[in-house]
Amino acid sequence: MTALAVGPTHGALVVRSLAMRGMQRILRRPSIILPTIIMPVFFLVAFTGSFSGITNIEGYGTDNVYNWMTPYAILQGVTFAGVGAAGMTGEDMEGGFYDRLLLTPGSRLPLMLGPIGYAMLRALIPITLVLVTAIVLGGADLNGGVLGVIVLYLGALGTAAGFACLGLVAIYTLKSMRALLAIQVPIFALTFLSIGQVPLEFQTGWLRQVSESNPVTPILEMLRQGFLGAVTWDQTWPGIVAVGVLILVFGLPAWFQLRRMAP
Amino acid sequence: MTTVTAIDDRSHLSTALDQMAELSARSIRNSLRNPSGYIPGLVFPLMLAAVYSAQFQRALGLPGFPEVDSFLDFILPASILQSVAFGATAAGADMALDIENGFFDRLLTSPVSRASILVGRLVGSAVEAALKFVVLLAIFLLFGASVKSGLPGVVVLMVVSLLLAIAIGGISLVLALRTGSQEAVNASFPLVFSTLFISSAFFPTELMNGWYQKVAEYNPVSWIINPVRRLVIEGWSWTDAATAIGLTATLGALTITWATFALRSRLRSL
Amino acid sequence: MSRPVEATGLVKRFGDLTAVDGVDLHVDEGEIFAFLGPNGAGKSTTVRMLVTLLQPTAGSARVAGFDVVREAGAVRRAIGVALQDAAIDPMMTGNELLQLQAVLHGLPRSVVRRRGPELLERVGLTAAADRRVGTYSGGMRRRLDLALSLIHEPSVLFLDEPTTGLDPTSRQSLWEEVRRLNDDGTTVFLTTQYLEEADQLAGRLAIIDDGAIVREGAPATLKEAVGSPTLRVDVPAGQREVAHQVLLRFGPNRPCREGRVAVGLDGGAAQMAEVVRALDEASVRVDHLELDAPSLDDVFAEATGRRLEGATE
Repeated sequence: MTALAVGPTHGALVVRSLAMRGMQRILRRPSIILPTIIMPVFFLVAFTGSFSGITNIEGYGTDNVYNWMTPYAILQGVTFAGVGAAGMTGEDMEGGFYDRLLLTPGSRLPLMLGPIGYAMLRALIPITLVLVTAIVLGGADLNGGVLGVIVLYLGALGTAAGFACLGLVAIYTLKSMRALLAIQVPIFALTFLSIGQVPLEFQTGWLRQVSESNPVTPILEMLRQGFLGAVTWDQTWPGIVAVGVLILVFGLPAWFQLRRMAP
Repeated sequence: MTTVTAIDDRSHLSTALDQMAELSARSIRNSLRNPSGYIPGLVFPLMLAAVYSAQFQRALGLPGFPEVDSFLDFILPASILQSVAFGATAAGADMALDIENGFFDRLLTSPVSRASILVGRLVGSAVEAALKFVVLLAIFLLFGASVKSGLPGVVVLMVVSLLLAIAIGGISLVLALRTGSQEAVNASFPLVFSTLFISSAFFPTELMNGWYQKVAEYNPVSWIINPVRRLVIEGWSWTDAATAIGLTATLGALTITWATFALRSRLRSL
Repeated sequence: MSRPVEATGLVKRFGDLTAVDGVDLHVDEGEIFAFLGPNGAGKSTTVRMLVTLLQPTAGSARVAGFDVVREAGAVRRAIGVALQDAAIDPMMTGNELLQLQAVLHGLPRSVVRRRGPELLERVGLTAAADRRVGTYSGGMRRRLDLALSLIHEPSVLFLDEPTTGLDPTSRQSLWEEVRRLNDDGTTVFLTTQYLEEADQLAGRLAIIDDGAIVREGAPATLKEAVGSPTLRVDVPAGQREVAHQVLLRFGPNRPCREGRVAVGLDGGAAQMAEVVRALDEASVRVDHLELDAPSLDDVFAEATGRRLEGATE
């Protein structure tokens, strides 16, 4: 038998192979990435176009609606990327190829980190596309400078990982692509019931209560700060915590489901 | 001899009506049996209305925003028409499914009248629209929305909903007949959504600017939404009622004609 | 030294359904072992337990000396698996899949560079290596699947219905490859619903029906155990009952297809003349008559009361 290296290095290699396999798939069948590209850009254009008037309301925080809506559209793109990446695992399971992956010796963790890595790589596409559209089309301000952009990218990538975990827990549980339909509602609620379109102070009643406790709200605050002004730690750490919460809340059950499937 | 022919004609007519009734019943039955088809079409517009009412209340004070009691009143027509429009695309999706699984061919080989194939589907859309209209209006009223023009306004809103369902249903039938693929019909869904969004449906065009404002103003959806909305938030106006009904009726007539041509060319290509 | 595969009292239940109901089996070093049975008999479920993809409800199994539940990792390292339908990602090329498979098994790059082309050559896919698997024929997919399961030089190879759905030529070439692998020292565990496949390849086989093993042994031994050859007679419909009565004097009833009468001929070929005379005396008109040495199908029929031949193809 050939000497087998099965350890952390092996795990890292597996993660890389699986993530790159996803990206390669996009190159071979570009149609799978189309929703991830078109929808966020459409959201950016539609939300800024339809609601540009709200910048005139006292206390909106910016007079360029793109500064407010760009992180929201990026968030949408990132959820698509996360769920889409989990979809690859769903396809593998439906087709039977996933058995080959499960037969890998060593920890199951790389099998889960692979699609998460793919989600993050894939998320780079809508993040960049929305950002460029916002700057070119809407003159979005980068008041937070390079640091603001870095925080935007890192925060969005972390969020992509969180939503990939949500997709994976559904896929591991139902073992079919239908799982992705089932999580449309929670995703819609998480992104929509937040400070995506207007600040918390504008919101009334139930919506405000939900938005306040929605982990996506501090994430949006973190992503948005670089458009509105300088990057501060006060607007950053709650976002980091929230990303961590998303990853833990969805990632842990996903991990348990995967272990249950083939320990 | 003459009597016989007369009876024969009558029976032809009544058979055609029977067939229409049967096919309409089939499409209504199928819709009702499939809650995953109509539930999102009810829930999504309601969610949108709930969230927008809770987050855009302050926008009511903006200069250019029409005089209105609540954002809920403002968004009521858009929510109802949105739900109706989404549901109506099911007509085409169902017909495409018929085409894909061969039931459509079976219909064609039977002596069923060609018109009843289209009518059956469109009646199905209209009935679904009427049911949605009742449910949605009741929920809106329950949450404090009001229709200023009273019962006549409600009637106009209902008629416009039915006509819109027929119009959108007609377009989706064209797609189904042309492509014969359910996937292609479903792919038109984002198009319906974006057409609706880039209009005065969710926010007044007066508060938009640049090219987006132009597109929204020229969007036929705005031409329909605006008079209907005035009936809801301002009060009765014969002009608004006539405009809304006239526009949707024209749209419906156009798409039905188009669908008829599409059916004919599909029959010819068989 | 423990055996490559050893299972005791394996049970798998899915809710109320018992898919595998107490399977005991073993495979010896260097053997080709066939697991024969109709669709839904529990073959795949058993294999999935042996290759660590499914947890047994009860019982235990050791593969390559490791427990399939407690030492799943070690089992996975030691075995090669080609599962039913050759489920491989159609978007990737043969080469890419080999590389991925190597990474999954933690093989150094140098090994892939050496063994990759070697394996492709071996299964006759060198020319198609850089084509996407989606463009492969059924036979090519199976051969690639086989190559994938061999990249880490496993000591035990599991093949779940390796030739189901293949044309006869592709089937032959896969058989040859399996034999060559076995000659090189690989122990092979294969499941099949084809009698011929089990007959051709297996040194020893087990017949599974309805979740339980009903016969086990070398094909020749099993056939001998059935003993008598099978006599099949075609007679006009009206005379079937009479013919049956006559034939039963010579041996036990054997199941056969509709419209025929069959018995095991206890006295063997020597009794044929006597049988024909007896039928003639009873005024039975014989349309067709054949005598076959015991086959695996007879073994299956004797054990289950049903025929496998024709039921699956």
